[in-house]
Amino acid sequence: MKFLFAVFLLFSINANANENKDQEDAKLFIENIGNKIITVAKEKKYSESLKRQKIIDLVDSSIDPNWISRFVLGKNFKNFNDQQKARFTKLYRDFMIYTYGPKFKDYNGRKFQVNDISFKNNIYLIKSEFLPKDSDTPILVDFKVKKNYEGFQILDFIAEGISLIETQRSEFNSVISEKGIDKFLEDLEVKIKKLKKS
Amino acid sequence: MFNPPYKTKLQTLFFAINFAVDLFFHFSWIYIFTTSQTNKLTKKILQNQIYNTPYKSSIIKFISFFIIIFLLFNKSSYAQSKKTNNYQITESEFESEFENNKNIDPYEKINRKIYAFNDFLDRNFLQYVARGYRKFVPKFSRKAIRNFSTNLSLPLSAINSLAQGKIDNTLSTMSTFLINSTVGIGGIIDVASSKSIKYNYEDFAQTFGFYGLKGETYLYLPIFGPKTVSDFVGFTVDKLVDPLSINTFNFGGSALNNNDYIISYNFVDIVDKRESLLNITDAIKENSFDPYATIRSAYLQKRKIDISR
Repeated sequence: MKFLFAVFLLFSINANANENKDQEDAKLFIENIGNKIITVAKEKKYSESLKRQKIIDLVDSSIDPNWISRFVLGKNFKNFNDQQKARFTKLYRDFMIYTYGPKFKDYNGRKFQVNDISFKNNIYLIKSEFLPKDSDTPILVDFKVKKNYEGFQILDFIAEGISLIETQRSEFNSVISEKGIDKFLEDLEVKIKKLKKS
Repeated sequence: MFNPPYKTKLQTLFFAINFAVDLFFHFSWIYIFTTSQTNKLTKKILQNQIYNTPYKSSIIKFISFFIIIFLLFNKSSYAQSKKTNNYQITESEFESEFENNKNIDPYEKINRKIYAFNDFLDRNFLQYVARGYRKFVPKFSRKAIRNFSTNLSLPLSAINSLAQGKIDNTLSTMSTFLINSTVGIGGIIDVASSKSIKYNYEDFAQTFGFYGLKGETYLYLPIFGPKTVSDFVGFTVDKLVDPLSINTFNFGGSALNNNDYIISYNFVDIVDKRESLLNITDAIKENSFDPYATIRSAYLQKRKIDISR
């Protein structure tokens, strides 16, 4: 019976092995992205517009726009019809990558490292730090990451304890309450056009 | 001499299968034991089980053989269901503790008017001063001023840290203060952080929050900006106690009684803090549909993290 007990422990090793492997993969996923951003930002051969485009592409391929757009709508999600949801998801994806992508092109820091990883409610929280070029004080950046059929995707950036999507959820809810859904979507479209031109 | 314990073909077959299972189990154990993902406790149990088990029952070995095959090729329903559950989306993922604005910001209409007043002052005065400060004061000078100001706030931070029972943080804060005040020439050079001495800044608002003072109602104050009710109480105590502010208890005696120096110091400190926020506020105004809501959300999240740390 002790022998069978030991064999059944293998049962748990196998399942735990899967979970540990996923954690390691999530950590590697974020490390790769962080280091790629620093590499692109530091590259002197790239023009500013090329750097911006490369980082936009990197951010675009890393995020899950469907999950994030669902989150930022919050309680208003049920008030959107299917057409509005589809339109918002597309617009919000562009808004995210054209707002925050270009910000990363100045991240030509010295180091990016992942410090800790935890798992709760199907989401990995990865704590990392970014060491700027001209400062010894690291910037703490956390990532919320989830694994789906397409692999790992980023759901949220949390800088110094402030969640990007939580902040946008509050903001969008406030605007939708005041202006209504259609006006909000029109304003979002106008803002994206300005961001693409800048 | 080799003397097999079998006589008939059936016995030979049985022995061969027995031998194969033994061999397989040993190799499986070696693979599992050397895989870094196996936890230590399980390794220990396996080690004991394998070396102490007498291998008496072939039936048990046959069963374990098939279980190992099953597990190693990852066909277990438990592993599969765990994988499937990771890909499922649950409603709880989309919940937010900051959702209900009415409870957090019941005075929103008044707060927005005060925000508009502060924004007017900022756009027409303080922002210009901060931008001028950034443009005309060299970076190393601005850094020195910021380090000096931060250093002077550390003793009060250490007191709050001690009041919350955070001994490690108290020691780190005081070490930072002492090192920067001496080696850092009065605090203008931040020597401590270059030596990886880290601390968390604590104020009275965090101390009151630590002891459960409720007061999460959001306020937007004239001049002072976003606060919660408990933060406002803590902020008031900070200003009353701080020797470089109102200094109700007259810490430092006559040395800190010169109002001109105190006012000048506080003015420079305010401008320096505004300059440090220029990039963030510019980004909010450029990208946000509702800067008031963005600032409110960011502030409440930051305070929650600061108090819970």
